[in-house]
Amino acid sequence: MVDRLMDALDIETTVFAKSEEEAKKIGIDLLGSLGFKDADIVFVEHEGFVARVRLRAYIYRPGDKYSWLLKDEVE
Amino acid sequence: MRILMVPLDPVHDVALKMLRRELLKNGHEVVLLPPDMKVEEVVEICRLEKPSVIMVSRTVGYGAAEVLGRFIDLLDAAGLRKGCKVIVGGKAITKELAAELGYDAGFGEGTEWEEVIAYVEGRPVKRRICENERKKRDITEGYSYRLLDEAFFKPLEDIAAQIIEWASGKCSPGVERAKVRERMLSGTDALKDYIDLCEEPVKSFYTRGEIPKKVRLVGTEEVSKFKRFIDGLTVPVGSSLASMSKPLVFVQYGTGCPFMDGMHIKVCEAWGADGFLHFDPSWGARVEGLLEGVLSHEEDGTIVTLENLKLIKSLLGESTLWSVRAHRGLNTPETVLLAAYVGADLTKINMVYGSLNGGTDPERLLVDGVYAIRLAARFNLPFDIPTNEELGGVPAYKAFAGMLVVAYLGLKLGARPILKPLFCYSPDVMISGYMEDNYVDYNVAKIWALREIIDAPIWAGEPIGFMTHTEERVQSALTTALHAGLAKSLNLDAITIASTDEAYSRGAITSSSRIDTLRALKEAFRFLGEVKFEPTCRAKSFKEAIKEGILKTLEEIARRGDFLSSLYEGLLGTREEGANPGRVGRGSVSRCLV
Repeated sequence: MVDRLMDALDIETTVFAKSEEEAKKIGIDLLGSLGFKDADIVFVEHEGFVARVRLRAYIYRPGDKYSWLLKDEVE
Repeated sequence: MRILMVPLDPVHDVALKMLRRELLKNGHEVVLLPPDMKVEEVVEICRLEKPSVIMVSRTVGYGAAEVLGRFIDLLDAAGLRKGCKVIVGGKAITKELAAELGYDAGFGEGTEWEEVIAYVEGRPVKRRICENERKKRDITEGYSYRLLDEAFFKPLEDIAAQIIEWASGKCSPGVERAKVRERMLSGTDALKDYIDLCEEPVKSFYTRGEIPKKVRLVGTEEVSKFKRFIDGLTVPVGSSLASMSKPLVFVQYGTGCPFMDGMHIKVCEAWGADGFLHFDPSWGARVEGLLEGVLSHEEDGTIVTLENLKLIKSLLGESTLWSVRAHRGLNTPETVLLAAYVGADLTKINMVYGSLNGGTDPERLLVDGVYAIRLAARFNLPFDIPTNEELGGVPAYKAFAGMLVVAYLGLKLGARPILKPLFCYSPDVMISGYMEDNYVDYNVAKIWALREIIDAPIWAGEPIGFMTHTEERVQSALTTALHAGLAKSLNLDAITIASTDEAYSRGAITSSSRIDTLRALKEAFRFLGEVKFEPTCRAKSFKEAIKEGILKTLEEIARRGDFLSSLYEGLLGTREEGANPGRVGRGSVSRCLV
């Protein structure tokens, strides 16, 4: 499935967190638990007990070999 | 055909009313029942009316499936299904749901009337010729380039004449390379001459095959696969967002990889973008000479090579406009030449911004810029003049004075300039408090000022709303869309938009973020239509101040009698204002041999 993604996967969600830092950690951990290695927080907005986060997992960076193009070779 | 329309809904029947209008136009006989009838009553009416088609509509709501299912069952039980098409439509209706409930067809959100009518009439859907059928447009068409305010004539005339005289007989490695490149493009083997004009690491790339750090040479097989991949896709070119009126919507690409750029371009075309700007890496502008081959690299901006440009050109839709920017570095003339050679529609040249914020020595860029403008004129390539020095802190009136000098110079050299003032929240605006209560007045004032000075095309510069964007998706899309709405309201010729992750600087821009903004713009344009923004009275006083500032600056430069010194001495922006004359290429200007 991942080889059908053009560049990155964004996940936007709301998490219970006491601070922005905790929200960031939860976000990165979540992406890690899903098996994504190139993960980042695009945006986080924390208010009191909860944070809205936009998480990004880059499947491909520019200049990579894209499996949507070179499926056999990449595999 | 006799058609019975049944809104099986407590209230909603607007879609059926609109569809009735279309069916009547096609000569059908239509009976529309009121909403909120009991299904038993409707079945009884069906028995009496004997329609060939029964159209049921239902919006979302609890129990919708049960009502629709019961209706079909009752029709069946009454023996009314034979010889009669029963179709269902509504926002939440899918083909699968319709089939599951026993309907002959289902039409959900996004259905065009023609699809329903074609089904009713039992014929294929007629693909209508799109009203907004896209054609490549010339941004400069219809402009006289006449100075509308006579006060600006003398200083601009004096400055342009002075620059032309100053540049006469001067040369640089950049100009020489453009000349050699021109010979190479006409088939002469002049690579050795070319390499002699380059510096490391370009020289070692050609002579020793050393690939610069983070750069990857893409193999020919990979390129072929990419082309085959693109050929195998069904890529629509969406209707222009601006529906053939202004502004044209440009997207700046430059992921670092021509393949990724290509895919982003195709996605943006499908979502209605009208044009694209090739954005080069900053290091490419600071080294003498260009590389060759299809190259990707791991940083912002896509490397300018003939092969990269050719590849990207081959992907563009027929109506898509394409600008290859050449505005600021040591390869300015050569980039304009390549842009023209590969068939770009536009380029970008500004010796003022390029030398005050772009790192290039003013003397060098002035020589290169004049030659580049001559090339643009020769190849009939309109060029835009950005005022990005505003982002460094230079007041708009000084940036505009520089822009008008370059524009006027362009006209004297036979080119077609496009004014590109920023629609932004610039440092000068922040410090001076011009936009504390709105983002409208000062941006409007800029456009009004320019429009009172010269009849020329205006393209709000890259990207609109700059410095208002954050990493938050909704805010970014909304702010861009509002700026786009303002540009439309002012009837600007074009805009360049930001993606919703423009402010996110830890990774590459994604295709989904580009779509976010294009969707937001579409909604803004639809929301506003021909409605105009109404600025407050401050816009007028801002406009007067900007005009006065431009004129004063131009007169000062004209009096100085030396445009180059004016750049070094801060007449177009002081160091305190963030205008620092660049040093790259200093001392490289020479006399031309011929």
